[in-house]
Amino acid sequence: MTATRSTRRLATLGAAALAGAAALSVAWASVISRATVTYQVPEIRLVRQDGRAVSLPHELDDGRPVLLNFIFTTCSSICPLASRTFEEFQSKLGPDAARVHLMSISIDPEQDTPARLSEYAQKFHAGAGWQYYTGTVDASIAAQRAFDVYRGEKMSHTAVTLMRAAPGKRWLRIEGFVTPDELVGELRKLLESP
Amino acid sequence: MLAAAVLAPLLSVGVGSAAPAGAAGASAGAGASAGETLYRSGLLSSGEPVEASREAGAALRGRDAACANCHRRSGLGSSEGRITIPPIAGPYLFTPRGKSLETLGVPYVDSARINHEAYTVESLTRAIREGTGANGRALNYLMPRYRLDDAAMQSLIAYLRAMDVTPSPGVTATTLHFATIITPDADAVKRRGVLAVIEQYFVDKNNAAARTKAPTLYSSHATMFRVARRWQLHVWELSGPPAGWNEQLRARLAAEPVFAVISGLGGSNWAPVQNFCEQQHLPCLFPNVEAPAGDDADFYTVYFSRGVLLEAQLIARELAESADRPRRIVQVFRAGDVGEAAARVLASAPGDSAPPVVDRVLKKRRGSAADLTAALSDVRPTDAVVLWLRADDLRALDAVTPRASRVWISGAMGGLEQAPVPPAWRTSVHLAYPVDLPGQRVVRVDYALSWFRLRRIPVLAEQVQADTYLACGLVSETLNHMVDAFIRDYLIERIEMALDHRVMTGYYPRLSLAPGQRFASKGGYIVRFTDAQGARVAPLGEWTTP
Repeated sequence: MTATRSTRRLATLGAAALAGAAALSVAWASVISRATVTYQVPEIRLVRQDGRAVSLPHELDDGRPVLLNFIFTTCSSICPLASRTFEEFQSKLGPDAARVHLMSISIDPEQDTPARLSEYAQKFHAGAGWQYYTGTVDASIAAQRAFDVYRGEKMSHTAVTLMRAAPGKRWLRIEGFVTPDELVGELRKLLESP
Repeated sequence: MLAAAVLAPLLSVGVGSAAPAGAAGASAGAGASAGETLYRSGLLSSGEPVEASREAGAALRGRDAACANCHRRSGLGSSEGRITIPPIAGPYLFTPRGKSLETLGVPYVDSARINHEAYTVESLTRAIREGTGANGRALNYLMPRYRLDDAAMQSLIAYLRAMDVTPSPGVTATTLHFATIITPDADAVKRRGVLAVIEQYFVDKNNAAARTKAPTLYSSHATMFRVARRWQLHVWELSGPPAGWNEQLRARLAAEPVFAVISGLGGSNWAPVQNFCEQQHLPCLFPNVEAPAGDDADFYTVYFSRGVLLEAQLIARELAESADRPRRIVQVFRAGDVGEAAARVLASAPGDSAPPVVDRVLKKRRGSAADLTAALSDVRPTDAVVLWLRADDLRALDAVTPRASRVWISGAMGGLEQAPVPPAWRTSVHLAYPVDLPGQRVVRVDYALSWFRLRRIPVLAEQVQADTYLACGLVSETLNHMVDAFIRDYLIERIEMALDHRVMTGYYPRLSLAPGQRFASKGGYIVRFTDAQGARVAPLGEWTTP
């Protein structure tokens, strides 16, 4: 499924460090890898932070470009960074923010009730285009599997951002800590490409 | 103590002022508390939030930038996915590459890799301000760069330097001491059941350890041997009114220092024990309490479930979702029992058009039909009735005519599917059910039941006994992962991490904790009886997390 794959920000890395798993703790985060992928998303029922029951494919296919990540609200290290990145991304888009659909799906859905997600969304100043989703444990796992981010339990999750220009197009999968500027750049490229 | 002595020379490495090592903790006193606030809450001594940023990333401040978020309260680090967050308690920072932490008496933690030069005050300052490690390389992108003035930096470094990695009280060279706490208002039968399980677990644990001969080691990892400590149980039975419990607990802890509290049994008031554990920084792991005190903001007590408080939320949710709004909600509970706390939760459940809630408090002897008849005398079919009652009161319902069309009963108090609900009441009763369904949990619970059978432990109260066995197993498993890092805060942090992996979760479909999560099982069912007699129940919906 992977059409292209590239790794950037290598300047900060020695080649040896890239090869060696032992160096992960130091080197990994400064790497982001990109891949273009096709995902088949089956019908999955989720609950949005406003309490409404929704269909995941329907939410994804509302016509807008979409950015997707997976978080949980009591995650204290990776997720706040991912959420801050989305927040900053929205603010960089300015008046265009609502024209891009940001979606954050909880991987700890039993804890992350719609009320807790709303509180979390508020903390990260989520604008109109940014929705959070929860649901049953099975639904959350199904959503994670659909995008190949399911890692068995919440503490094993990794930083992945998924981006798609329009329904029917392929997804750009970004692994690692992407910056808000990079996200803006990636989106622009996606929208420009045919 | 040994570790402190060995570490003493180390602690002064790179310190400009070279205070006597023994005084490091003490002299850091005033400074360290500013450092501690910064470390845990991200607040400067002025009360202002600390500011930090990431290369090309967004700024963060205050609590979001607190060191403890990632490096944890213990300072021993953690891991998340492929990211390893290293320990930053003093010895892990100031020990030079190549020095074996183990020979220095510093505990082994998974995330410790001393692949850097020893930090000095200068290089650590650079790391915190600029994100450059001791080896000159950039630190992980996750690590923010902090805007700290010299005084704040000094207080933070002093705090890190003084972070205690020596074993907590209750840990000796040969023994791990644990307590289990039983309050005087606890049920006498359950008490016998809990004690039978936990006492036997300790016997088994020590027998197993004695049978296992230390393997011939070809590695120098002497840490492998250190885990074979005996477990010793101290049963702390409290007496008298709750106001005196704190003093009793303090005296017990002083006389018998323990590493942690495992399981135990409460009655209607667990708050004094919860508060004691928070004050003493003493982990209290999975006590059998039907109405837990405290909340997710506390640190040291973790529970399997919110118990009857969760049931109240489940009932409130079902009521809120019902198209047919009752005229009133009539709650019946006994004065002084846990139903009182549950009734408060239900009464305060938010809802735009929630019906009025009326409380009826039973005060006569348990199982008094007259008491129940009086409490329910004005109930009409359009009312909803919620009964926070135990088995003897439920039995007495036989003499009372059910008038309301909808009745909820607490499964936790009534005895789950064994609740003796009289036939006339069964068609209208919904049972709050804060555990997994009988058919779905049978294999997981059987694991505990066969353990009881083999050891001739009588099953007196199945759920609390299975939960006690589960608590012991979880602590044992977690301690195996901790190797020799017997530090109380770290125990809590490791329990948080270990729980998601657990497959044998007894009465609960799954267990999960995290920082800011103190109740491992989050949901429950509403069930109904399928027959006029017997213990068959069917769920009225899916497992719900209210």
